[in-house]
Amino acid sequence: MAKFSGTRAHVYLAMLPVWIIVLVALVSSTVWTFVISLTNSKLLPVYKFNFFHQYELLLKQPAWQVAVSNLIVFGVLFIAICLVFGFVMAIMMDQRIRGEAFFRTVFLYPYAMSFVVTGLVWQWVLNPGFGIQAAVRGLGFENFTFDWIVQPDRAIYILVLAAVWQGSGLVMAILLAGLRGVDEDLWKATRIDGIAKWRVYTSIVLPIIAPMAATATVLLAVSVVKAYDLVVALTGGGPGNATEVPAKFVMENLFARQNVALANAGAIMMLVAVIAILVPMYYARRYMAQKAEV
Amino acid sequence: MARNVTTQRKIVNTVLAWGIGLLIFFPILWTILTSFKSEATAIADPPVFLFFDWTLDNYRVVQERSDYMRFLWNSVIIAGGSTLLGIIVAVPAAWSMAFVPSARTKDILLWMLSTKMLPAVGVLYPIYLIFIKMGLLDSRVGLTVVLMLINLPIIIWMLYTYFREIPGEILEAARMDGASLKEEILYVLTPMAVPGIASTVLLNIILAWNEAFWTLNLTAAKAAPLTAFIASYSSPEGLFYAKLSAASTMAIAPILILGWFSQKQLVRGLTFGAVK
Repeated sequence: MAKFSGTRAHVYLAMLPVWIIVLVALVSSTVWTFVISLTNSKLLPVYKFNFFHQYELLLKQPAWQVAVSNLIVFGVLFIAICLVFGFVMAIMMDQRIRGEAFFRTVFLYPYAMSFVVTGLVWQWVLNPGFGIQAAVRGLGFENFTFDWIVQPDRAIYILVLAAVWQGSGLVMAILLAGLRGVDEDLWKATRIDGIAKWRVYTSIVLPIIAPMAATATVLLAVSVVKAYDLVVALTGGGPGNATEVPAKFVMENLFARQNVALANAGAIMMLVAVIAILVPMYYARRYMAQKAEV
Repeated sequence: MARNVTTQRKIVNTVLAWGIGLLIFFPILWTILTSFKSEATAIADPPVFLFFDWTLDNYRVVQERSDYMRFLWNSVIIAGGSTLLGIIVAVPAAWSMAFVPSARTKDILLWMLSTKMLPAVGVLYPIYLIFIKMGLLDSRVGLTVVLMLINLPIIIWMLYTYFREIPGEILEAARMDGASLKEEILYVLTPMAVPGIASTVLLNIILAWNEAFWTLNLTAAKAAPLTAFIASYSSPEGLFYAKLSAASTMAIAPILILGWFSQKQLVRGLTFGAVK
């Protein structure tokens, strides 16, 4: 590529605002958050250090434990179901159906919208009084019950349902791109060999698109750790603490319970979780890129 | 690509696609339909689907409440402002990364992009403190700046990928013809960069329009955009369903429309570039 005729100085000048913003705003804020998490701050930041005391407290907090275990249940189910749905949808989309661009956009719409806005209609649909339950009963099935949203042991599955609705289009889009990369000759070969289509998909295509599936999994996993909108819009953490999640725990301790240091400890824990998801991905990518170059 | 599909299978797949599409679109469709119902019809038991008296009352009522317009206006200003600001900061940076790449440009980009994936709670409190100090809480200016900040990595990265596609030879040709640096930028690069910038703007408006975490936490009454307005009503006991649906419809309408026109960019941006 021909070099732009600007000088090094131009380049540094062009990058300067970005560096200032990224370093000052993002990095220093994160460090600040970490520093506060090492103190005893309650309502306002007080810089009396107590090292990892807050983390100890945090891990012992029943509310935090519940939030984390909810998140794990939610995350595992959500990611697994999303991947399966997304894969099936991608296969369907790959069959030269009419109006592919149209469907791709429609499938992706839920992901493009804030759940704070779309959560409203979900509350409506799931409300036993006038949603699905009322509709089915109206059709004559008087005993039909669908009130999971108000049942403590079921509400988490409602979150999964709504999150799958929101996320499966994203998985579809990513996996579809992977399917498009599969060589046409491979299909011809398997057809000649008379291998059943589902076998081809599970045993040959799936390994080929594994990197795409990994990307999708990482994106979903990151969104799981951050889950906030969904819970606030749909259940508010309830009933009881059945759908409490770490992000909400942090927000509550930050603003409602005046437990600033504890909240920031929680935030740092979430940060570490996301980094733990991203770093292996990053190195895997590099490794693959290096392998491709050789 | 899809492997000799028989006509029969094609029909089955198309029907399936419509079915799934409808299922996925249903909640959105329902919100739109409900916005045209009267409050009583909205909570009718059993629910009414299409055959009701269509009314624009909800929109009228919502419009009449002047504060609704303020929320809408806030959304427009914050989404537009943060996008504009972001573009101004990001264009030179993306430009230099694309045309004068160093050995570490890729790593820097990846690192920047990953900050977009970090949980916002990690930086919320310091920013909140700064906002209190500077009196920026519940102000449009503050929110605009914050949204610019959190979306900046994705703007830079999107622009970078677009700028990379501009062929370098064209610069050489321009230089052969004796173009100065200024002319190069103004007459050669800028026209070629416009489509990429436009796509990035579209995507970022969608992202900023949707933003809920920051808008919920940093605004109260004055600077709150639509997302915050709708969230504040989120315990619907059936009282204002139709009106809330009208507000929601207005909140999702720009995304439905912008998303339609920027399908490819939407996919590209939302998947963090996993899909080109």
